[in-house]
Amino acid sequence: MLADALEHLVRGIVDHPDDVQVDSRSLRRGELLEVRVHPDDLGRVIGRGGRTARALRTVMSALSAQGSVRVDVLGLDGR
Amino acid sequence: MTSETQAEDVPRTDETVDPEAPSIDRLDEEGEIAADYLEELLDIADLDGDIEIDVENGRAAVEIVAESGGRSLRRLVGADGEVLDALQELTRLAVQTKTGERSRLMLDIAGHRAERRAALVAEAEEVITQVRATGQPVALEPMNPFERKVVHDAVAAAGLVSDSEGVEPSRYVVVKPASD
Repeated sequence: MLADALEHLVRGIVDHPDDVQVDSRSLRRGELLEVRVHPDDLGRVIGRGGRTARALRTVMSALSAQGSVRVDVLGLDGR
Repeated sequence: MTSETQAEDVPRTDETVDPEAPSIDRLDEEGEIAADYLEELLDIADLDGDIEIDVENGRAAVEIVAESGGRSLRRLVGADGEVLDALQELTRLAVQTKTGERSRLMLDIAGHRAERRAALVAEAEEVITQVRATGQPVALEPMNPFERKVVHDAVAAAGLVSDSEGVEPSRYVVVKPASD
C-alpha cells in the first residue's frame, strides 16, 4: 500500500508520470521506499531545500502502521 | 504595515476583493484537480473520507471530511497539523502540474484548521484588548503562515496594525496600536 500511495503522490506532481517507479525494501530499521523519476522531474520532486521530499516522507510516515518510513528520491539514469 | 507583510500573507477579509485573485472558474478547476488527487490517495490508503470543494477569499478551499465519525483521518492531520501541511503542499504542486500556475489552495482535514482558526481568533482578541488598554505592542509566539494570516485578519478587522517579524520557522506576529 505504501509504495502505491507514494507512486500516486509523485505521479501527480511530475511532467513524466509514466517514468515514476517505486521500489520498496524492508530494512531492519523500517521500510525504505526508493522513488525513481525522469531526470527532468528530479528537482521538482526534491523541491527547494528538500521541501517536497520532506513532505512526501511526512505523509508516508503518517500512512505507515510501523512509524517512520525512509523515502529516497533518485533520477532514472541512476544519478 | 510593511511591504513584507503584504507580500507574505496579505490580510484579506470577505469585503475586500483581491484584483489578483484567479477567476472562480480557475479556482473551481483547482478544487477538482485537488479532489481527484486526494480521493485516489484515500482509496489507496483505504481511508474513509468525503471531499468538499469551495472557494473562499479568492482561494480554492478543499476539505476532507470524515464519514460517519471515522477517526482514521486524524493521522492525516498529524501533530500540530504537520501532515496536513505536507499534504497541502503536495496538493498545491499537483494542481500546479496540471494548470501550469501556482496554487494557493487551502486544504483542511476533519475541521482541523477551522478549530485552530477559532482558537487563534480568541487569542488575537485577548491581545487586541491588551494592546488597546496599554497602547504598547505585543509579540505573539511563532506561528506558521496560515496561523499568522488568521491573526493579521483579526487584527485588521479590529482596526489595529500587525506585522510579521523574525525568520521561519520562528516568524511571529506583533500587534500594534492603531497608527494615528
